[in-house]
Amino acid sequence: MAKRDSIIGEVVGKDYEYGFTTDVEQEFIPKGLNEDIIRLISAKKQEPQWLLDFRLDAFRRWQKMEMPKWAHLDIPEIDFQDIIYYAAPKRNEDAPSEIDPKLLETFDKLGIPLEEREALAGVQSKDGTSGMVVDAIFDSVGVKKVFHKELDERGIIFCSFNEAVREYPDLVRKYLASVVPVGDNFYSALNSAVFSDGSFCYIPKGVKCPMELSSYFRINAKGTGQFERTLIVADEGSYVSYLEGCTAPMRDENQLHAAVVEIVVEKDADVKYSTVQNWYPGDAQGRGGIFNFVTKRGICKGENSHLSWTQVETGSAITWKYPSTILLGDNSSSEFYSVAVTNNYQQADTGTKMIHLGKNTRSRIVSKGISAGHSQNSYRGLVRMGKGAVGGRNHSQCDSLLIGDKCGAHTFPVIKNENASAVVEHEATTSKISEDQLFYCNQRGIGPEEAVGLIVNGYAREVLAKLPMEFAVEAKKLLQVSLEGSVG
Amino acid sequence: MILFSGSGIIASGDSLHQEIRLDAGQAMDLVLVALGGGQAVFDVEIAGAGADINLRGLYLCGGNDRLDIKVNMRHSVGESRSNQLFRGIMTGEARARFDGRIVVAPDAQKTEAYQINQNLQLSDDAVVETLPQLEIYADDVKCSHGATVGNLNLDEQFYMRSRGVSLEEARRLQMISFLAPVMEGLPEDVKEQVYAAIR
Repeated sequence: MAKRDSIIGEVVGKDYEYGFTTDVEQEFIPKGLNEDIIRLISAKKQEPQWLLDFRLDAFRRWQKMEMPKWAHLDIPEIDFQDIIYYAAPKRNEDAPSEIDPKLLETFDKLGIPLEEREALAGVQSKDGTSGMVVDAIFDSVGVKKVFHKELDERGIIFCSFNEAVREYPDLVRKYLASVVPVGDNFYSALNSAVFSDGSFCYIPKGVKCPMELSSYFRINAKGTGQFERTLIVADEGSYVSYLEGCTAPMRDENQLHAAVVEIVVEKDADVKYSTVQNWYPGDAQGRGGIFNFVTKRGICKGENSHLSWTQVETGSAITWKYPSTILLGDNSSSEFYSVAVTNNYQQADTGTKMIHLGKNTRSRIVSKGISAGHSQNSYRGLVRMGKGAVGGRNHSQCDSLLIGDKCGAHTFPVIKNENASAVVEHEATTSKISEDQLFYCNQRGIGPEEAVGLIVNGYAREVLAKLPMEFAVEAKKLLQVSLEGSVG
Repeated sequence: MILFSGSGIIASGDSLHQEIRLDAGQAMDLVLVALGGGQAVFDVEIAGAGADINLRGLYLCGGNDRLDIKVNMRHSVGESRSNQLFRGIMTGEARARFDGRIVVAPDAQKTEAYQINQNLQLSDDAVVETLPQLEIYADDVKCSHGATVGNLNLDEQFYMRSRGVSLEEARRLQMISFLAPVMEGLPEDVKEQVYAAIR
């Protein structure tokens, strides 16, 4: 009993616990966006000419594009000239290889282990892998060179994007923008022009990555945007489980986060990509918060390849995000599991695209939306069965849960079928937490807030069960915190 | 395309645009029969408590048919009910698009709104596009939608063929039974027309 009380206390007592700012000396480049700024970013990163050309080409395309307006979102005008596109903590000139202790402290506070150590000592997760290796990105730069003996022995490359450009230019050049073309959309073009850092991961043929790889993104500086780029390549027969986390300080201004994630899955390879998105959502009046406009896409290139997306979305003032899979290889398969929670004045328009091109490709979509307060929560998705997707199969299930009468829950799926042997099913429901369920819990001495937490966790269980263990515990708590104050 | 209500034919033609308003306590039952292409738009405003609309549709598209069905079901007032069922069979190089939206306005509590769109796609050259959409701004509601695209069940065919029914006849029976829930209540001569169109 005492233990449970302490958990409730812990859960109910906290707001956004990652809202602190790290006071660290940082270097900024001037506000605004033009070709000189892009040259400056590229020079700071000491990039080769081809990458600068890539950026400039992207910038020129972006200038001709317009902000997409089709989402069910109310996005205030964004002044792209009023953003600082590069911010980095200053390095100690005397000891350039040392990490600022303040940064270590920051990531310690966030619960992210930067030192080489087992995340969960002595505990083996279900799939037999153990531990976790983290690449931490602070504003525009990677914090620390990632090194892990076990990765090295197996030939797995896991490093900051910047380092990959220097060390493995051929790999980067081969795969960069191969899944998300530069001109794919407004934000991917912007990202391609100004991206600062991110993670690069390459799993060689036949290698099963023995531990979870993780990227952690932290926005710290005021007035900046974060534009990271992640590229994951799983070569034939390999396996990797990748986690992504993110937080930002509490501020009254809106900050922009526009990332691009590209995943290439070759023949027989298997990639599991999990996200717990916990950007600062803004306060109860809807002031501040991160604009999270992200393009994530993977391609199942080879036969029997598999890509699984799991996301828990609780943060951000506005989320615009559709992790998608192109199922090109025969017999390839993909899943999308999502829990999106919105409270107060948050808005989310999120979902997935499953584009079936190969024979006997299968996909499954499970989306659970939870809206509370004055928030708007939309699922938007596309399932397309191309002509070649003979025997293609999809099942989508999208449920919405409404808590309170001022919020909205919406479902906008698109199904397009172009061959006679494919089978596509979509179903969606909208419901609320019933009085009966609450009464049942209350009657047994479970308070309203805890009861809602319990019911929501039950509702989202199918998705939470797909998360790696370390994340699942965190995500469950997060759901409760996000919905705090939404009943009664 | 022909549009039936309980009392008979209320509209026909290649292009139908129906603006419907239901006030308190009104009930309506509509069935759209589309043997071929065309465009049908239903703008339904449910403006009173106790209103109830049952909107059904069937389509048989073949050859080069182009069919476009749009439903905008708006529940402005709560304690109302709507039910949509659209089923279609696609052959040849036909294309069909079903764009159906249910909107439940803020405070339209105790609304019940359902929508189902199911398609049999029997040709590799046909294209089906379905966009079932829910836009819900009230919490005490029961709303759901479903959409499927699929083929004729082979087990059912085997069952019939093992009892001496020809493949052709078995497929016909399957298609008739697929459309049967939509045809319920239609005049016998219209049903005959639909049966004749199923080949």
